[in-house]
Amino acid sequence: MTNVPFLLLIEDDDAIRTALELSLSRQGHRVATAATGEDGLKLLREQRPDLIVLDVMLPGIDGFEVCRRIRRTDQLPIILLTARSDDIDVVVGLESGADDYVVKPVQGRVLDARIRAVLRRGEREANDSAAFGNLLIDRAAMTVTKNGEDLQLTPTELRLLLELSRRPGQALSRQQLLRLVWEHDYLGDSRLVDACVQRLRAKVEDVPSSPTLIRTVRGVGYRLDAPQ
Amino acid sequence: MSDEPARVRGWAAGLLRWFSLRLRLMLVFGLVALTAAVSASAIAYWLNRDAVLTRTQDAALDEFRKSLKDDTDPLPSLPTCSELRDVAVRMADNTQKYEVLLITRTRDGESCPAASDKKLFTLDAVPASLRRAVDQKRPVSKGNSAPYHLYWQRITLHGTPYLVGGAKVNGGGPTGYMLKSLDTERQDLNSLAWSLGIATGLALIGAALLAQAAAATVLRPVQRLGEAAHRLGEGHLDTRLQVSGSDELANLSHTFNRAAERLQKRVAELSAREASSRRFVADMSHELRTPLTAITAVTEVLEEEADSLDPMIAPAVQLVVSETRRLNDLVENLMEVTRFDAGTARLVLDDVDVADQVTACIDARAWLDAVELDAARGIVARLDPRRLDVILANLIGNALKHGGSPVRVSVRTEGDELLIRVRDHGPGIPEDVLPHVFDRFYKASASRPRSEGSGLGLSIAMENAHIHGGDISAANSPEGGAVFTLRLPMDASRIASDEAADDPDRDRDGAFEGGGDDDGGGGGDNGPAKGPGRNEGGRP
Repeated sequence: MTNVPFLLLIEDDDAIRTALELSLSRQGHRVATAATGEDGLKLLREQRPDLIVLDVMLPGIDGFEVCRRIRRTDQLPIILLTARSDDIDVVVGLESGADDYVVKPVQGRVLDARIRAVLRRGEREANDSAAFGNLLIDRAAMTVTKNGEDLQLTPTELRLLLELSRRPGQALSRQQLLRLVWEHDYLGDSRLVDACVQRLRAKVEDVPSSPTLIRTVRGVGYRLDAPQ
Repeated sequence: MSDEPARVRGWAAGLLRWFSLRLRLMLVFGLVALTAAVSASAIAYWLNRDAVLTRTQDAALDEFRKSLKDDTDPLPSLPTCSELRDVAVRMADNTQKYEVLLITRTRDGESCPAASDKKLFTLDAVPASLRRAVDQKRPVSKGNSAPYHLYWQRITLHGTPYLVGGAKVNGGGPTGYMLKSLDTERQDLNSLAWSLGIATGLALIGAALLAQAAAATVLRPVQRLGEAAHRLGEGHLDTRLQVSGSDELANLSHTFNRAAERLQKRVAELSAREASSRRFVADMSHELRTPLTAITAVTEVLEEEADSLDPMIAPAVQLVVSETRRLNDLVENLMEVTRFDAGTARLVLDDVDVADQVTACIDARAWLDAVELDAARGIVARLDPRRLDVILANLIGNALKHGGSPVRVSVRTEGDELLIRVRDHGPGIPEDVLPHVFDRFYKASASRPRSEGSGLGLSIAMENAHIHGGDISAANSPEGGAVFTLRLPMDASRIASDEAADDPDRDRDGAFEGGGDDDGGGGGDNGPAKGPGRNEGGRP
């Protein structure tokens, strides 16, 4: 990873694409742009960006589909740019694997803050590891293995797991997790947490529908337990 | 205490329902049956009683008359008491089973009463009026063949009914009385009365059943009509009745169906018109968003450069920047309103410390100096924090703008309701404006300076309260200044789950909408399919 974050902006509207490229470049990012989902996927393979800013409504394959296709092979952070803050779209976007979302019209500063927060999630910190049942979290290498097999986690999923594993057996509220993982203010969308927990469970739990590691604590939030 | 009248009203309504058509029908049927059965039984009883008693009486009295004549004939004119008793015993040995008492003047010149059963039948048992009638001598004439006649009377002795009769033997014989028990007859008549009573009861039950059946045939269609009207009133405009037959009820059902049909058509027309105008507003705000996004993204660039610009141009740039923000707010509010109108607004619930939330809301807008907060920590409510923030920001912002500081915000709980009061120290709200403060784009007066708000703030706050199942009321404080009171349920999850079918497999306890599978495959296909259709046409 170079010092200057390399972003891929996929947005079909010329004016918005130009404006956001201008704004993000001024914030110190290197920006590549694509006008369609297909072009974006091609650029992703060729240029390997650090992060993708993805418009939901695209001609051809839409943002959700692009998001799903990226997640099949890559775990790089994706921020959705949604023109509609209709709740259903947000949920679909989060379920298709996005790490965060911003609602248009977005201020360049806000988008920049989100981008930096998402990128920080991949940074390593401590040099230790923890085991929860057959799940091994190596904080030094920033890897998670299950039964000795490497799990492909997005930086957000990894950060969420790290934050939970730092306080094993202790319930963390959605608001706490939003602050710790997403660095959102007091108005963070708790569905980000819910969607990310669902995705994380799908990867780390033996039976995702009856989780034994990441438990829901009713009226509070989530908790990481070692299975009995 | 306050629900006492309500309980009484409910009770009265229950009673009224009991006096319903069904009950009235049953009452009328019952009364008719009762009257008929009772009069028939009474007539039958009296006829029967008369016949039975007359027959028994006639038989006994006939035999008594005969034996009085025959058995006292051989007696001497002045018989002894014992002779008389023998005759009485002989007379009492009869088919009709009556006791006999004979009285005559003995040789000693004394009156000797001789009874067949001395214990039961004494002269005291014979009523004085009967004795007088028996002893009375009537002159013999054309219409009266004998001086003495047979008289009888019915009496009750020791609780048993008796027939007592008496006569004096014509031509100077003893006076004889007879006493016959009517107990058998009474028993027969009693059992007859019982039978008639039971028959009456059965008739009543039959009448009630008939009334029930009649009520059912009449009332079931009426009830169906009532239910249909109720459903129609609840908004199920496709409610129709099945029309069968050609009676008044069928006619009524037909009328109902026609009315419902017309209503449905009219409502459909109106809602189609309303929907299209809503869609226009929604589409328009969407369309406005695309250029606004591009403009917003570059206003910051302009803003940062403003200091180094020509002093003639800098104010223009500032104006563009600030008005772009306003336009953004307006479009954002417009979209929020269209979401409420279209019913697509959803709650995203979380457990929130209300005091923290209010503090954060005030802090985020740099209002800390102008707002006094009176809130205990630890009041945790289950609601949508973002919507609460919108409500608070609008109420407090409105208070600061129109009322002026200090604005006092108090947080209380009342039962299972959360109460947030926002009070300003301004001039208050004129009475004629109060009912309209939550109206969209309502401006208190034309002369009022153009406010910074979009004119939608309080309306959006109200919608956000409603979606929680809460409410906002506006009033003037007696000490001056306006008071807005926000009431929200402490737990809005019931409202949220009413709105959307909950997926029980999902172990989230929030109102996480969207459906679909955990892997996003199923849910993922719904959104995009619905989404682009609306906006594709307008995209360049």
